[in-house]
Parts: sequence; C-alpha cells; structure tokens
Amino acid sequence: MSQETLRIQKISGHAGSVPGEDTQRQYTVCKLIDTTTCIGCKACEVACMEWNDLPFGETVFDNSYQTMPETRWNYWNLILFNEHEREDGSLMWLMRKNQCMHCAEPGCLAACPSDGAIVQYTNGIVDFQQDKCIGCGYCITGCPFNIPKFNKETKRVYKCTLCTDRVSQGLEPACIKSCPTGCLHFGSKDDMKYLAEQRAKQLRDHYNFPKAGVYDPPGVGGTGVIYVLHDASQPELYGGLPKDPRIPLSVKLWKGPLKWLGNIAMVGGLIGLFAHYLRYGPKEREEEAKEPHEGAQP
Amino acid sequence: MSEHADQILPHGRVLRYPFGERLNHWIAAFSYIYLLLTGLAFWSPWLFWIAVLMGGGQISRTLHPWAGLIFFYAVARMHGYWSAQMKNTEVDKQWWRSISHYVQNEDDKMPPAGRYNAGQKALFWSFFYAAIVLLLTGIVLWFPEWIPWNLRWLRYISVFLHPVAALFTIANFLIHIYMSAFAERGAFGSVIHGDVTLHFAKRYHPAWYDEIVRRANAPRK
Amino acid sequence: MTNGWVDMKNTDMMLIMGGNPAENHPCGFKWPIEAKRTRGAKMISVDPRFTRTSAVADLFCQIRAGTDIAFLGGVIRYALENNCIAKDYLVNFTNAAFIVRSDFKLPADTDGVFSGLNAATQSYDRSTWNYAGAGGGAHPDSVATYAPGQAAHGANPPAPTLPEKVEYDLTLQNPNCVFQLLKKHYSRYTPEMVERITGIPKEQFLKAAELYTSIRKDGDMKKAGTIIYAVGWTQHTFGTQIIRTAAILQLLLGNVGRAGGGVNALRGHSNIQGATDMAGLFDNLPGYLKVPTPADASLEAWMKRITPTASKPASWDSFNYYSNTPKFAVSYLKALYGDAATKQNSWAFDYLPKVDRNYSWVQMWDDMYNGTVKGMLAFGMNGVAIGPDSKKNIDALKKADFLVVGEIYPDETSEFWKSPGITKDEMKQIQTTVYRLPCAGFAEKDGSFTNSARWVLWKNTALPTPGDCRVDQAIVAQIFLKIRELYKKDSGKFPDPILNLTWNYSVPSSPPLAEVLKEINGKALADLEDPATKQQIKAGQQLPGFAWLKDDGTTSCGNWIYSGSFTEAGNQTARRDPSDPSGLGLHLGWGWSWPANRRVLYNRASCDVDGKPWDPTRKQVWWNEGQQKWVGNDVPDFKVDSKPKDHMGPFIMNPEGVGRLFAPLAAFADGPFSEFYEPIESPIDNPLHPQQTHNPVVKRFKTPDDKYGTPKDGYTVVCTTYRLTELYHYWTKNNPMNVQLVPEPFVEIAAEMAQEMGLTGGEKVKVTSIRGEYIAKAMVTKRIKPMMIDGKKVYQIGIPIHQGYRGIAEDEGKDARTLVNLLTPTVFDPNAYTPEFKGFLVKLEKA
Repeated sequence: MSQETLRIQKISGHAGSVPGEDTQRQYTVCKLIDTTTCIGCKACEVACMEWNDLPFGETVFDNSYQTMPETRWNYWNLILFNEHEREDGSLMWLMRKNQCMHCAEPGCLAACPSDGAIVQYTNGIVDFQQDKCIGCGYCITGCPFNIPKFNKETKRVYKCTLCTDRVSQGLEPACIKSCPTGCLHFGSKDDMKYLAEQRAKQLRDHYNFPKAGVYDPPGVGGTGVIYVLHDASQPELYGGLPKDPRIPLSVKLWKGPLKWLGNIAMVGGLIGLFAHYLRYGPKEREEEAKEPHEGAQP
Repeated sequence: MSEHADQILPHGRVLRYPFGERLNHWIAAFSYIYLLLTGLAFWSPWLFWIAVLMGGGQISRTLHPWAGLIFFYAVARMHGYWSAQMKNTEVDKQWWRSISHYVQNEDDKMPPAGRYNAGQKALFWSFFYAAIVLLLTGIVLWFPEWIPWNLRWLRYISVFLHPVAALFTIANFLIHIYMSAFAERGAFGSVIHGDVTLHFAKRYHPAWYDEIVRRANAPRK
Repeated sequence: MTNGWVDMKNTDMMLIMGGNPAENHPCGFKWPIEAKRTRGAKMISVDPRFTRTSAVADLFCQIRAGTDIAFLGGVIRYALENNCIAKDYLVNFTNAAFIVRSDFKLPADTDGVFSGLNAATQSYDRSTWNYAGAGGGAHPDSVATYAPGQAAHGANPPAPTLPEKVEYDLTLQNPNCVFQLLKKHYSRYTPEMVERITGIPKEQFLKAAELYTSIRKDGDMKKAGTIIYAVGWTQHTFGTQIIRTAAILQLLLGNVGRAGGGVNALRGHSNIQGATDMAGLFDNLPGYLKVPTPADASLEAWMKRITPTASKPASWDSFNYYSNTPKFAVSYLKALYGDAATKQNSWAFDYLPKVDRNYSWVQMWDDMYNGTVKGMLAFGMNGVAIGPDSKKNIDALKKADFLVVGEIYPDETSEFWKSPGITKDEMKQIQTTVYRLPCAGFAEKDGSFTNSARWVLWKNTALPTPGDCRVDQAIVAQIFLKIRELYKKDSGKFPDPILNLTWNYSVPSSPPLAEVLKEINGKALADLEDPATKQQIKAGQQLPGFAWLKDDGTTSCGNWIYSGSFTEAGNQTARRDPSDPSGLGLHLGWGWSWPANRRVLYNRASCDVDGKPWDPTRKQVWWNEGQQKWVGNDVPDFKVDSKPKDHMGPFIMNPEGVGRLFAPLAAFADGPFSEFYEPIESPIDNPLHPQQTHNPVVKRFKTPDDKYGTPKDGYTVVCTTYRLTELYHYWTKNNPMNVQLVPEPFVEIAAEMAQEMGLTGGEKVKVTSIRGEYIAKAMVTKRIKPMMIDGKKVYQIGIPIHQGYRGIAEDEGKDARTLVNLLTPTVFDPNAYTPEFKGFLVKLEKA
C-alpha cells in the first residue's frame, strides 16, 4: 500500500519525471541478515504473517524443516534450509531468510508496464501497489531472486513490502522485531554494511570461515537486504542465492535497445509510408479505377 | 446466396473473398487491432494511456491473451483458406526482383501476379509465423507463475521474442493497411463486399484475371 | 540455572549437551549468540543429531543418546591429564582435599558398582560414601530413595552422619583424598573408551575436550565456560548423574559462581522452574524442604533429620545456610495454618501429610493401573500424551472411576477412550467418568512465570477468558471450598488440616494471584527487630526477605526462597527497570530473582581466596577491605561480613561450605561420583563393565504394559524424542499457524540408513518399540550419521513429539495421528524420578 509519508524516487511504467527523485537526503534503509547466527526458528515467518495479516495456506511435508518450497503470494518471508558438507567432512545446516531483496535497481520495476504499480521510495524500499497492478507478471520475469508471486484469485502480484507501513512510522520491519537471536538488523545501508563487514571479518579471523563475506550484489545496484555468509564465494549453497544476480539480459534488451529500435521503426515506418504516398500517391487515380471494364463476359 | 471464390458477378465484378474469408479477415483484423493497442500500452509508458482508454490495465491484461487466441484462430483459418495459394512461385522471385517498380507504382513493369502477389504472400507468411511465435511466447507470458524457476529461461526468451514478433507484425500491418486502404483502390472494398472489379483483377493480379476468364469460358460440365 | 540467560553473554566457551536451545529456547539463545558476536566465544554442540543449535556451533559431535557421562567423564580426564584445572579454586572451594573413608570403593575396584550395593533390594548402603574425620551428628540432605511401589521409610536405621571435623590434605596427594579418587575414577574414561561408548571418533572427541578445557589452559583463571543442558540429560535412568558429571567438570575448571560459567538447566516450559520451586515433586515442600515421612514422629525429629550441621576441615568456616531449616519450616506451617499452628501443637506439624513412598509421575500411573488410584485431576498437562508408555496411561485411565481435565482444547487425555485402536465395543466397556472443564489460556491469566534463570516475572491478563472458561485457581479453590464445606458438615477422619487451612483471600472462590504471592513472600505476625541494624517490621507487614524468618511462630512464609518477592515496597516481580550498570546482564531491577534477588548463585566463587575477582573485567562481587564486607554488582551469595581469611566456603548451601566433587552419603541414590551406565534399552553391553550394564538401583515396572526391548528381540535402532521450535508440546496442532509451519509428523533418519532400506524422503515409515508403534513420514537427512558403537554399526533415529489424535488434522477428518510416547519405556531416574524418554530401542520398516 502506498505510504503518504514516503516519497517516491522510481515508478514503474511511468512516462515523465518522478516526484520524489533527488528531493530528499533520506537514508537508504537496509536489512542485515547474518546467516551465521540464524537458527531457523521461523519467528520472522510468523511475524510477517501476523503483521501483514496474510491468510494461512496448506503445506505438505517435503523432507525438510523448510515450511514450503518457495515463497508464496501470501508467504513473503521464508527461511530456506540446506544441508551442506564442507571439504573437511563437517556438516553445515545453512539457513537463509529469503524475501524481497529491495534492489537499488529493481528488475521487477524495470519490467513492469503499469504506471505506478511498482515504486521505489527514496529510502530504497521497493513496493508493489496492488491497486495499480495489472497482473501481467512481468515483474516475476524481471526479478532475479524469484520473489514476486501471483495470486490467481486477485490476479495481482504480491511480495515483501519491507513493512513500509512500519518503516514509514519509524519502526523496524516485523521480521526484525521478532528475531530472537539478533541475527536480523535494520538501519541505514551504510551502518548495516559496516556491521556486516565487521561480522564477516570476525568470521574470517576468528571462526574458521576464511571465505566469509557480505552479499550485496552490484549487478542489481546493491540490495536493501544484505547477507553475511559463511562462504561468500558460494551463495548458491544458501538455497540458490544467485552469485551475480542481474536483471535478465532479455529484459534489459527488451526494455532498452529493442524499445528504441521498435519505436524508431514504428515511427519511421509511418513517416515512410506517408512520404511514399506523398511521392507516389495511390497506384491508380479514382477515375482510372472506375474505368469501364472490357473483357470476359459472364 | 451461395458464394464461391473467383465467381464472376454481374456488373463486371468478380468475387475475390467469399463471406467466410471476409468474416475471418475481420475477426483477425479486430482482434489484431485490439492486441496492437493493448500491446502498445504495455510496450511503452508513453502509450499506457491506451490501456486506460481500453478499460484499464487490468482488463487490457486480462483480455489481451484471449484476443490473442482469437487472432491465432483466425490466422490458422486463413492458413486453411489460403496456404495453397500462398506458395512461392518462379514469378514471385521475379516480382521481388522488380520490387522497385512496384514501389514506384510502375505496376505495368511487374511480372504478372496471380491471385496474390509476392508481397501479399510475404505478408501472409509473416503473420502466420509471427502468430505462432506470439502464441507460444504469449502462453508463457500469460501464465508466468506456472513456469517453474528452473525453466525461467522460457520467460526470458518469451519476454523478448513476443515484442520482437509483434514489431515484425506491426511493420507488415502498416504496409498492409497502407496498401489496402490507400495504395490500391478497391482492395479495401474487397474484404467488405467481397468483390473487385475485373479491372482491378486485371490490373493487380493479371494471372488471376486470366485464370478467371479461362475458367469462365470453359465449357460447363 | 546457577547463572542465567542474560549471563550467557559473558561466557567464553559453551558446551551445549542434552539440549537444543536454538530449537527449544530461541529467545534465550540470543545470549549465546551475543557471546559469540561480542566476545568471540566458542560453542560446542554435542547431540545425537545435528540440530538447529549445532548449525551455529563451532564444533559438533554426534553422540549416541544416553552416553553423556562417558563424554563428560572423558573431558574430566582430559582436563586432569592436561593441567587444565583451576588449582586454587579446587583446593579452597571444593572438597578435592577432603579425605574419604578408606572402606569406600570405586566401581573400578568392584564389579562396576560403588561400595555398599545390596543387589537384592537394588539399593545402596551409603555409609561408606563419607569423609574420614571426627565428630558428627550432622544429617546432610537426607534424600530418600523411592523405588517403585516400595515404602522407603519407616523401618530405616538412623541415617549415618557427616563428620564434624573432616580430614584433609591440601597437597591433594593423599590417595584417599577426593581429588585422587576422582582422578582414578575418571582415568578409565580414555578417548578410546569414549569412542567405544559414545560413537564419537577419538580425534573428534579430543578436539572437543581440548576446545572446552582451553579456557583453563595452564590454569589461567581469566576465562569462563558454561555448560548448558536440558531434558536430553535429565530424561535418563542416570539423568541426575549426568548433571553431576557436568558439575564436577565445572568445579574442576573453577567455572561455578563465575559470570559466563555455571551449570545451566534450560527449563522446558515458561514456568517449570516455578512449579519445581513450589513443590512440583512429591518429595519436596515449597522451597525444596524435604517432606516429612512417617518415621518423623515429631517436628523435632523431622527437623533433626533435614537440618544439616557443618562438616569441614577444622580451620575452615562453613555458613551451612540450611541450618536455618527450622525457620523455613515453621514459617511455612504458619502460612498454611495460621493461628491454628501453635507452639503447643508443634506448629500443626501433624497436619502435614507424611510421604510414605514414591508418588512420582510414573508411579502415579502405575498405581492407577494397579487400581489404587481411582481418579485424577489433570490441569496444565496432557498426561496420556506426555507419557512415557502412553498405552499404559490409557489403560490406567480405563480403570479409573473419574477423570477431570482442565484444558483449553479437547486433548488426548480427555479423549483417551477414543484413542486409535479402541473399538466401539471396547469404548462401551470403559466406565470412567470424564469431566472436561474449559480453562483459561496463559494470556488469560495473571500471575508469575519463573524462568530458567530463577527470575520471577509478573505478567498481567491480556485477554478476558472466553465463554465459560475459568482460571485454574478458581476451579481448584471451588473444589477446596466444597470439600471444606463437606468436612464442616459431616466431619471426617481428620478434618483439622482442611478446616484450619488459611484461606484469607478477598475472593475465596477465585483467589487473586497477587494475594497468593504475598502469602508466599510471607509477613510478620508480631513486631520484629533486627538486632544488628535495629530495623523494625510491624506485625502484619510483608517481610523484606528470608533472613527475617523465625522458628518461633512470629513469621509466616509460603516458600522461603520466594521471600522478598512481594514486600512492603510492592510486587517486586512486576518491576521492569532494564538498567544494567555493570554491563554483566544482572538487571537487578528487572523482575525479581530467587534467592534474595541474586542473579548468579555461589558468586563468592567468582573471587580468589582473598576476595579479588578472578577476572577484573567481569566483577560480580568482591571483598571491600574498607567497609569490611562483601559488596558487588550482584547481590553477594555469601555471609557479607565473613572475612576472606576466615576461609568460609562459597557453597553456603552445603554443610561443607565447598563444592562437592564427591557427594557424600545420601545426596544421591546411585553414587557419590557419576559412573556411565547404559540406558535401560541399549544396543550394547556397557563397555566399562559388561556384567553391570545398567544403573544398579534402577528398577523396572512389572505390569503387562511394561516391557523392555533388547537387540536380541530385533530392536537395534537407538531412538530419541524431542521438540520442534515450530510447535508447543501437544497444543499447537490446534493452531493453523503452527500447523502450516510443520504440517505432518516425521521421523528423522540417516541418509545411509534410508539408502539401505531403499527409502526416500516423504515415504511413510513405521517405528516399532516393544511397547507400541508410530507411523510418520521419513525425513532423510545428512544430519544423522551411522555410528560405530563398540565395534558395532548402530543407527539412531529421532522423532519429534507434538503429534497426537486430537488436532486440526483430526477435526478435518484426516487419519488420527499417533503419540510418540507409545514407544517410550516406563522407567525412571532414581534421584529425580524423570522417565527415560531419550535413548530407547526400536526397529524401523517401511509402512
């Protein structure tokens, strides 16, 4: 839902300027998820359900502690559980809270054709405005993280809002509030980046995770949700977190060069045909066409 | 009234498109125009107002795929009607070689076209193949939520090919409109009333004209 | 806990065994994580499965369920061999230097038992488990052994006593001193032996032992390590002894009393600590006073038996705080019976029930099964589901006359008569009358929760009770008032205890819980004055703490350890001051902690002999030379004016004043040191002494429902049970939110085992023990590995509890689910009477 107190810096499917762009010096907000201290308790899942008042859905046992295989239109926050054997034979049980990453350059927003259905606030939150959503699902294709989910009943797409309603009132998102271990943090991007780097350094220097690092993929301009990973060189281990997420090339081509080529071609085509008509006119004058016909008789 | 193609009618006219073909043409035409308008609305934010005019984004998004199915159905029927006549011939190759004359309205320098000239055949096949691409990619885009994450390349391909194919049809469509509504007098009427003058047939489709005359003069069985 | 949840942030090292706090205590688990993040603390997780806790641990060892003593014994041996012990602490603060009687024998010297075993009665004559020394008369904690069905008191000879002056050797060289005996005893727990028993490869075990003891490398005292456990330790036929082993290790390393140290039990429910404090066990009165037995003919006899006198080296001092026992007991009687308790009638001692035998959980059901218990009031628990051996409990209820269940949902207990497997015809045969009373949920009542850290925290009612639901105390009060009315009308054999029970609540039919807490805290019944400070308390005023309690009838107190919780200053448990000036996580203004609002027990031991903190960066308490008293950030757990040079021991609740590496006499039923014994159902004979596989004092039950499986019968798979974080006990299967998180029951199975069975994840399996079967879907996982146990390949499986035949699934008409406790055996720990839910034998097949 649109938040009056938040100004908008990017709008999907929008022609012309954006009212909030470069009008504020607001901090970009950021959620830090330290996967190394996540215990998979699912408090964030429940808090998300509760705060956003999402309806229950049916689940089935799937040989895992994971609540369901992937997020749903009514389940925006899902911890992914993955068992991984390290080279030294020791086991790791990786738990990653999966939700919208709130990319600085959101693929969903780029792909969305509907004016104002997806907005990015000046604090960095990417939010879906279901009242303007036309249900085309292009955002699903634009997202490199498999986040937007389609509701077959309403024919609209839903995802994590980063609790814009809470954040706009100075509160942290519900998941952050509920996290018992302090694995989740919320603050300005700079602060979270700093915290994350500190933790990663501690993991490298002190905890036998030489490849520990921070996941803040530049391919999408950085994200409003960043991870501390035990092994930043293999984000795929954490339930398929893409190593170098980008807006899909085809979406970029479609929204970039193809659009320009297409527009030029269409406009050029119209002009060309008009010019042709001016130069050559119709193949026959009217009177010619009406000329009585001599030929075969019926 | 029973109609059959190439029937010579009173007043020096010849039946070019029987009712079924005319109806089908307009099914295709109207569905295509709807697809074009709503498609353009989704194509560019500068044109999104079209969707608003067409009843809003939601309705446009909902009806676009259904219109697509109708359009494809019409194209498929056209294939049934005309595919045999749309085969490329030696004459067509000559026609293409003489295209500059055609563009400059020097039709008398063109090789004699049959019922369809090579340009019309190209239009037909362009629409036919583009419609197949649009259908397949359109189905993927219709139900993106059904495409599993590991088959997401299908969506990536579709999201690109669909507008590419659409642009291709638009180019053809513009020429088609231009030719039928502006360049060739009488062509537009042929898909309304179904008939053209014998003059029209002779002028634009001499080989067809000859065929009509030959058949008309042939002894009845 | 000796320490507390928040205190865990002070630790440098965590050994988490027999517990999975990340799963079961996710909120408290904040603090272990905090220690990792802010102190760089290390965490070792030892568990039969790789758990959610293991996922954030620095080292994981997969242990065979029930072999924790072998592991800990091995760590003790490692610490001794590698000089990772707290020498000064050991000599001055424990009984390491005490000399033990020469006729005491270790299992190493006998056939795997301690001296004094009577094989016929399966009990120990514990007189040799004593110090050498002179004098006596002290009766240390006289915990009786209550074996199944057997009267433990009455014909007993006078209990042996501790010597007043204990012989000792501060060089620790005397071969019969506790330290040398300890060394000898645990020398058998070699890494090889640990591997044979626990299945933990030697190198892996050594890694863990080295890591844990590294905090005391070369005896340096700066760092502190904590041991964290839960019911994975207690639910065994030797559960108390596992905890003993941990306590011994912590004393050896000097970790008890230290911030970030201690032996820390994680309680499984929000108020289980409070229940225990308020006499949750049949052999306790509130505040852990020992119940009188028929042999206690008078108040004096009872007091003589349960009040210890100091037993220590002559030159040392011992506070022996339990010498105050009569004050606690008399004040308790005054709280119960008010003016009816007079000096003349020995403060109504005769009113107190005398406990003649075992009335523990498992025994109760056995008694009902055998027809001596005719009815049951079941509140706040689901007796059939929580087992063990649910079938026996169901069979017992079939024989009962009546059952009253107070619950918020229809539960398995109140619907025992339609548990799966009972036919319609059989149902008609069941004559038990069941009364189901709708009760209030936790958010619908006020009162206090006592958490694992002993913090008593008041809570307010959040919601009104719906419909006809009532709070528990209203139901119990109305039953009591009705009974009292009947006694008033019809008299009876002995109406006095009922008629004279204090019941001065503003709403007698539903006592407000704040008034109950005031009663528990205690008040002055006459004007009192502290002779030292001249502070005065008027009659009728609330007591500020248990130091004011008197044995002359001038004070009343419902539970001495809770004295101070509701004073004249108000309800201390409702305080919510989060400040923590020391940064040690003490939060003295947040709620109230027993005893006396101190947050870390035995905190005198956080200082060296001279009263200086071992670690100056974590100052808890210290001796202030200027003020000539103990002061600190925490409330000193000590006699505040006892000078360090007087050498008073920091373990003031022991008559010795020091920590017990060796627990003398009747402290434990099954040994003064811990010894590894196999669970009642185990896949191998005890490698330490195959002729003595099990705990010798553990008795088996004899009803047809009590069967115990062996590998010979085909039960070769070790099975353990546990909880999931997503579900709460047997409740939340009624809540769609929780059901969405974990929709179906499952059994965790090693990938290797599944492969052998041709089983894939999601297929149904049947788990069978000799008592019953359980069907659920297989969760095939790498988190459990096959183990080599004494040369034998052994598989372990794990089953979450939580399922039963009452819940959303059943309401939707799906197949009724089964109770996991159909599998578990009826057998219990001889000290705490906790059933052995963990580590029994099953077989597994595709269903």
